[in-house]
Amino acid sequence: MSGPLIDFDRVSQIYAARDGSPVWALSDVSLRVEAGEFVCLIGPSGCGKSTLIHLLAGFLKPTSGAVRFRGRPLDGPGPDRGVVFQEYALFAWMTARQNVEFGLRMQRVSAPVRRRRALEALDRVGLRHAADRYPHELSGGMRQRVAVARALVVEPEVVLMDEPFAAVDAMTRTTLQEDLLRLWRETGVSVLFVTHNIDEAVFLAQRVVVMGAGPGVIREDLTVDLPYPRDRGSAEFGREYARIAAALARGSRGADQSDGERRAA
Amino acid sequence: MTAATDDAAGTGLSTPRHSAADARSDSAAFAEEFRRAHRRGLRRAAWLRALLNVTGILLFLAVWEAVPRLGTWVNPVLLPPPSVVFDTFVPMLLSGEIPANILASLRRAALGFGIATATGVTAGLLTARIGLLHHVSEPILHGFRSVPSIALVPLSVLWFGIGEGSKVALVAWGSFFPIWITTFIGVRDVPAAYLRSAACLGAGRLATLLLVVLPAALPMILAGLRQGIAVSLILLVAAELSGAREGVAYMMSTGHQMFRVDIMLIGLVLLGTFGFIADRLFVALIRRLFPWYTTAS
Ligand SMILES: Nc1ncnc2c1ncn2[C@@H]1O[C@H](COP(=O)(O)OP(=O)(O)OP(=O)(O)O)[C@@H](O)[C@H]1O
Ligand SMILES: [Mg+2]
Repeated sequence: MSGPLIDFDRVSQIYAARDGSPVWALSDVSLRVEAGEFVCLIGPSGCGKSTLIHLLAGFLKPTSGAVRFRGRPLDGPGPDRGVVFQEYALFAWMTARQNVEFGLRMQRVSAPVRRRRALEALDRVGLRHAADRYPHELSGGMRQRVAVARALVVEPEVVLMDEPFAAVDAMTRTTLQEDLLRLWRETGVSVLFVTHNIDEAVFLAQRVVVMGAGPGVIREDLTVDLPYPRDRGSAEFGREYARIAAALARGSRGADQSDGERRAA
Repeated sequence: MTAATDDAAGTGLSTPRHSAADARSDSAAFAEEFRRAHRRGLRRAAWLRALLNVTGILLFLAVWEAVPRLGTWVNPVLLPPPSVVFDTFVPMLLSGEIPANILASLRRAALGFGIATATGVTAGLLTARIGLLHHVSEPILHGFRSVPSIALVPLSVLWFGIGEGSKVALVAWGSFFPIWITTFIGVRDVPAAYLRSAACLGAGRLATLLLVVLPAALPMILAGLRQGIAVSLILLVAAELSGAREGVAYMMSTGHQMFRVDIMLIGLVLLGTFGFIADRLFVALIRRLFPWYTTAS
């Protein structure tokens, strides 16, 4: 396959506000992601990060422009694009294993194979022992692990993650990040990861896409050229952190500046 | 880390010569003891609860027994004490009159409720999932829902006669609405994250409906069914009072004609027991079938 895996081509998304006036969630956004890349989207609240994810997942159709996946325009959600939500979207009436098996069941994989693959997937997120527990019997971090296993077990080409670790405590968050990086390197899947957290972006991403609000646009596209695993205490880490923080600050100031000034900055 | 392992670590510290294996068996023994004590506590609480329940019933019976005897302000013919009611009850039970009436009533209620469950859940699912159907049926369904079901008793007798048909139809009619409306709300309010997860994992329409929408709406559907049980009883009584040849409420109306308040009271107690047992059975069944349900929400 030639060309990028994901191709947002001059995409705009307009919602109707309650009074019917247009809300520009995304304005003329173009973004390409290659197969196997780990890309973080970062930006202030309301800049259209979730909208971007929903467009690619197939929950929304763009108002204008095209979203292409492997060169073809999208037509609804599908198992080639896994999604991990911020809120807990595990099926409450299924055990962890049944949740992970769900996607395989939809592919009509036979029960014994399904079971084996689900247990392997749970093993990879360190939760084999919790396979028979229901979501309400799991901690927040464990639930997100199961959600990651559920998304990965059907072997999607990209996983879309919308602030998946925002609701867990800082310590759990760090281990979840490490696990995610390990899974990414083991499977070669592409990851599009939304975060509010600069530290998280620098720790995870090869590329950090900085977005700005009102209307939602992409301000900068920064490469984080550090080897994995990354050391949060290192000087390079601090430099990358400062670079992204500066880009975010420019972005939020840029919203009420002229185009010329922004380009000069 | 659980309390049990914490404690085991503490024991290990106080006796430093412990080997690792000892510490492990200690903690297992502690866990076993802890579990046993916990179960004992639960059992004791359950017994106490049952005891208090029975005490409540006995107190009520004692007051009821005393009131008609305590002076002239209560006429014992209008309010016979429980001992009198019981004396009437036993021969009626042994002659088979009461069991036959109970069976007749149960059959009607179960049949009507079964029909209402099948149609109500189906209607709720379809109207919540298919927008067109929802808008077309909305005014009619809500219009009918607003008519108190009891108002249909005379019409139902005209339409279905005084046989079983009219009674079953009334029960089904009345309990259909709470089941339909709660199913509708439950299905309509299934969280978007569930539907989106299912779609991303490749689920089609039917799989989404059966494996995601129905179980997600189940708490609401069950609440509707429970309400439906209560409504079934009300309509059962209304239907039987409007003319029947057997049944618990029929028995009460014959008691009324013969001025036998004791027979009427037997009917009341039976109806109360029906409702209570049906509700309890229902809750127990849910606990059994859906272990995630009671604790999840
Ligand atoms: N369904 C909707 N109807 C109307 N406006 C919407 C809708 N969804 C989003 N918006 C608006 O579109 C803009 C972008 O929303 P989006 O959820 O994509 O932002 P976000 O970057 O994910 O924000 P956050 O960081 O707070 O999650 C916001 O101004 C939001 O108010
Ligand atoms: Mg968002």
